[in-house]
Amino acid sequence: MIIEMARLRILGPRDRLGDVFDALQDLGVMHLAEPGAPAPGVSPVELTAAQRREQRQLRRALDHVDRALAGLGLRAGPASRAAPRATRNDFARWARLGWRMRRAVDRLATREAALQEERALILKYQQFFGAFRALLESQSRWPSATAYHVLLRGGETEALIRLRGSLRELIGDAFELYSQPLPSGEIALLIVVAAPAAPQVERILAQARVQEIPVPASYGGGALTEAIPRMLARLSDLPAELEALRRERARLGQDHGAELRRARASLADRLGELEALPLSAVTARAFVIEGWAPARTRPTIEQRLAAGFGDAVVVTEVGKEDWASEDAPVVLSNPRLFRPFELLIRLLPLPRYGTIDPTPFVAVFFPAFFGLMVGDIGYGLLLGVLALVLRRRSQPGSTLRSAAEIAGACAVFTVLAGALFGELFGDLGRRWLGLRPIAFNREEALIPFLILAVSLGAVHVVLGLALGVAANIRHHPRHALGRGMSLVMIIAIILALLAAVHVLPDALLTPAVIALLAAFPVLIVAEGVVAPIELLSTVGNVLSYARIMALGVASVMLAVVANRMVGAIGSVAVGVVFALLFHLVNFAIALFSPTIHALRLHYVEFFGKFYSPGGVRYQPFGHWTREATR
Amino acid sequence: MEAFGVVLAAALAVGLPALATAWAQSRIGPAIAASMAEKPELSTTAILMIAIPETMVILGFVVSVLILFRGAA
Repeated sequence: MIIEMARLRILGPRDRLGDVFDALQDLGVMHLAEPGAPAPGVSPVELTAAQRREQRQLRRALDHVDRALAGLGLRAGPASRAAPRATRNDFARWARLGWRMRRAVDRLATREAALQEERALILKYQQFFGAFRALLESQSRWPSATAYHVLLRGGETEALIRLRGSLRELIGDAFELYSQPLPSGEIALLIVVAAPAAPQVERILAQARVQEIPVPASYGGGALTEAIPRMLARLSDLPAELEALRRERARLGQDHGAELRRARASLADRLGELEALPLSAVTARAFVIEGWAPARTRPTIEQRLAAGFGDAVVVTEVGKEDWASEDAPVVLSNPRLFRPFELLIRLLPLPRYGTIDPTPFVAVFFPAFFGLMVGDIGYGLLLGVLALVLRRRSQPGSTLRSAAEIAGACAVFTVLAGALFGELFGDLGRRWLGLRPIAFNREEALIPFLILAVSLGAVHVVLGLALGVAANIRHHPRHALGRGMSLVMIIAIILALLAAVHVLPDALLTPAVIALLAAFPVLIVAEGVVAPIELLSTVGNVLSYARIMALGVASVMLAVVANRMVGAIGSVAVGVVFALLFHLVNFAIALFSPTIHALRLHYVEFFGKFYSPGGVRYQPFGHWTREATR
Repeated sequence: MEAFGVVLAAALAVGLPALATAWAQSRIGPAIAASMAEKPELSTTAILMIAIPETMVILGFVVSVLILFRGAA
């Protein structure tokens, strides 16, 4: 359900405005809004030049602290409630600390990147040296020659042919070119040319745009044979240097981590206060703050302000007739069992305040539809294990935790539906354990399954239309009447069809048709000439639930095919492996496809009848938390 | 010959909508991927957009099953 909100107005002496904001920030329940219709002499608060400067400085300091925390690999967290409120000196100290720490972590990061780059370079040379070791060691035999070391990307054999052709064209046979594929997939080239031809060769290499790797000056330049021992010695030193950097980072985190976290939270709190200030209004002597809070928290707000300011600050509730319900923020509040399903509602824009929160309905129908589509005890148990693992690895209140709990509910319904259809990894349970379906066998009873799916659709769509009537009856009675007539006509169509095929007594056929004919003109009057088209689309919506049967049959057929692989392929062992792989694929499909289609049935067929999106997200003014940032 | 006609009709009932669905999804997929690159919050719309054309093949499958059952009767 969407919890009831109260629009509160807080009045007090202007010189206590900052203190009242502090108190509201401590309470963390009020969603601030601009005060309603302006009265003469009341003007919105504008930040002073000093406050705007402070805002800029805080943002800069916050950026430094954030980057320092990220560089140190630390997670920010909210400030301790027991910590004293930060002073101006604290902010100045944190700004300096943030700047210093950011420079330190930047320096560490730059140094680490340089060491990693050096390591990669040496490894490349090592490969090169390994490929041409014998040739390079004999380099001393060519005192008047110059050697070039070139790397080509894997597959650039044409470039090699072109390079060889260009060299031959320019300097004849006065060169030697050796190529070796490297373990990295690249091709190493060693080109040895007579010293006088060196400038021409350099030009050719530049034109060919190949990656030449000259021996770096830091290793003495010149011959690779002389540089390689120095490089290898350096390579053995690098891990120690990288470890020293890691220790330095850990030490910085240990020494300053707690202070940086407190700085992050306090800077964000102060910034939030400055950003909230323009939402208040003042006269020469008084201030006014308005906003929404859950109605049940009103006494808490009153008590806290009375304790802090006595009679000087007054809290009043703005009458419901003075505010538009669509402006009120929305808080979804559901029983523990239904709460994870709020995640599926949050994938859409929130419902408007004062409309219906569909979470309880989704919590019942979503896992039911999923279960009917997958409908297998084995897959259900696998999904249950997956849900338990995800739940154990997730934080309470996180998206992953909600997803794990939804998966758990889907697993329960899948096992139940599996028992109903007598399926355990397809027909394996039937063949090995003598499992019998309680309702029907989905492999054969396609028509009963289709009737079940469409009947469920009829129930779901009728429920959606009934909710549409309930949601509109107060503010849009004409629309509610239209929804009501659609509801009557859908029920009349169902009754007439059931009577026509003798499922219901034949005597019902005439009253159902009369109801249909009577409701039709009312529907046109209420909803206009497009109403018949909408009615047809509603009938289409009901038929759309046939996808439950279609996906369910596809799922069981794939499982049966997987089981038949054991006998179909010559070797039993190979057949078992294939069967397991096929079941794995079917399970993966069973995770995605039924989820998407169950979501679609809710978002399009069900929500389309009553859901009013466009609700404002509840963002209470309070202390900074990671969740608030998200 | 009649059995062949029934099987052919059932195959066409599911095959043609499958081709239509594949064509529709081949157009929707890149468009929604491009939209999501700019606005990641469109992921829910993406799910719906991808799932909507599948209705054709699902209803085709249902019709195909009905044809086969009538043929067998």
